[in-house]
Amino acid sequence: MSATAAPAARPVSESLWGKAWYKFRRDRFGMAGLAVVLVYLVIALGVWLGLWGQHWSSVEGPMWAPPGPDYWLGTNIIGQDIFERAIYSTKTAFEVGLVVAVLSTALGGVLGALAGYWSNRWPDELILWLMGVLDAIPFYLFVAAIAFALQDNPYAMHIAMIATFWTTTARLVRGEVIKLKNFEFVEAARAIGLPQRLIIFRHILPNTFHILLVQATIVFVSAIKSEVILSFLGLGVKDGVSWGVMIAESTQEVQAGHFSNFVTASAFLFVLVMAFNLFSDALQDALDPRKVSA
Amino acid sequence: MEILQYALRKFITGIPLILGVTFISFLLMVYFGPDKTYELAGKNATPEQIAEIRHQLGYDRPFLVRYGEYLRELVTLDFGYSDSTGERVSHILERTIPISLALILPGFVLGNLLGIALALVAAHHRGRWLDKLIMGGSVVGMSISFLIVIIAFQIIFCSNYGLGWFPVRGWNVYDFWDYLRYVTVPTLATVFVALGYNTRFYRAVLVEELGRDHVRTARAFGAPPAEVLFKHVLKNAMIPIITRIMFSIPFVVVSGALLIESYFGIPGVGLVTYDAITTGDQPVLKAVVGLTAVLFVLVLILNDIFYKLVDPRVSLQ
Repeated sequence: MSATAAPAARPVSESLWGKAWYKFRRDRFGMAGLAVVLVYLVIALGVWLGLWGQHWSSVEGPMWAPPGPDYWLGTNIIGQDIFERAIYSTKTAFEVGLVVAVLSTALGGVLGALAGYWSNRWPDELILWLMGVLDAIPFYLFVAAIAFALQDNPYAMHIAMIATFWTTTARLVRGEVIKLKNFEFVEAARAIGLPQRLIIFRHILPNTFHILLVQATIVFVSAIKSEVILSFLGLGVKDGVSWGVMIAESTQEVQAGHFSNFVTASAFLFVLVMAFNLFSDALQDALDPRKVSA
Repeated sequence: MEILQYALRKFITGIPLILGVTFISFLLMVYFGPDKTYELAGKNATPEQIAEIRHQLGYDRPFLVRYGEYLRELVTLDFGYSDSTGERVSHILERTIPISLALILPGFVLGNLLGIALALVAAHHRGRWLDKLIMGGSVVGMSISFLIVIIAFQIIFCSNYGLGWFPVRGWNVYDFWDYLRYVTVPTLATVFVALGYNTRFYRAVLVEELGRDHVRTARAFGAPPAEVLFKHVLKNAMIPIITRIMFSIPFVVVSGALLIESYFGIPGVGLVTYDAITTGDQPVLKAVVGLTAVLFVLVLILNDIFYKLVDPRVSLQ
């Protein structure tokens, strides 16, 4: 089960991942999406390594300078370089997206597998109840509540997203596990006396990996989109800058007719989300064996 | 009668859900929530004054008693008085919920109807350029943040930098003409945002139904394409469609209203909630969260009853 591609000499490897990669490569929109995501990733890594985007908070220019050689996309209401801020925000977006996607998918995978393995018994009932409860609380209120409870902890937003975004993944994994647990390889594992924990986590859960991968990309997109709205509501990024923070400050500038901050942040966000959506769609098409190409 | 019994049984199974939601929100918002004592006490309060205030706020009572009090409030719909304005919470809700419904409903209905219409067109032309155009458009629509749509539409339609056709903020509605003036831009924004997601979802449902045997049989018997699409496909796809519409109701009303109302300054329940979040107005937040949970459970029950109405094979047992 290696996720890397088969050598280029043979056109189609017979493994699931080889076939998926072959299918994915032929999806032009998916490949374009992946390329754009990788460009963003390089930008984010560069910020993280301190190569660029380090002057996002310094007030150096005049207020609302027009775009030009000094400030590529102009300056905002207090004279900060908009381009620098947008670049630095890429790192924030990836940070939020990756942390939330990885942790909520892991949580959803584990709880979904447990619920599916013991379906219709008490662990399942308990996990289903918890999912129902979390789904019934309006998201923004839940974030606000977590923010209250954690007293302005900078990770309140991350925790709230992880706590709510895992439920969809868990439902999907639960359904798949209910199907998988009656397969012969599970029976065989049980017959040779493997402990249940190994059966669940080493034999069943790896077979749901395609679901987890697709869900992680979907959660990543939801997380960076939610970050923007939460930051606008004042519940999101507290220290640092993000596209959401930029849009929130731009609402005053927009009324005065200065659109650069708003347009820049929106464009950065839109291109990344769009690319990720295309990537995610292509991934779903490639990994779903039943999917007939439309 | 049978349906009534069924609904009652469903409601009883929904009680653990309501208890869970209220318990978690109570724990987070009230028990671990902000302590209002020192805000109210002012400077140099004596220990007796502080104790008095804590007693008034109920902080000195045990956890379970306070939680029970919250449940009683939820059952009697009496949530006390708002911390920031002093108005009765039930009055605030009575005043603001109709405004939010009037604001959100047109966009919600249009967004779903247009979504179904576009999905029908796309599914009918599946694989051809019209389908690809519609689906490409939905991915673009899905990729634009709701917040950006609201701000951009306000610039385009309301401000002097754009067309300037509609009022920028507020809600001075006295007759139907006023209503149209204030509701148009928020409606356009909600429809725009919902359309991408809705079209994609409905198309997937319709395409799945199109692949079924009964559709092939209908075609083989020479049923015209329009009849196949509306009578055989759409009718059979009603269950997932209704489910989606029903389940989005609680969230569209609360979350959709929250953003639109806070940005356009419309005094609906969303703006009240937003203000309550920013000022930590617990009685209001408790009311909104509790009522949304109850609404969610009611939607679950209604949804099951709808299944029965749409599909007679669904058993009531």
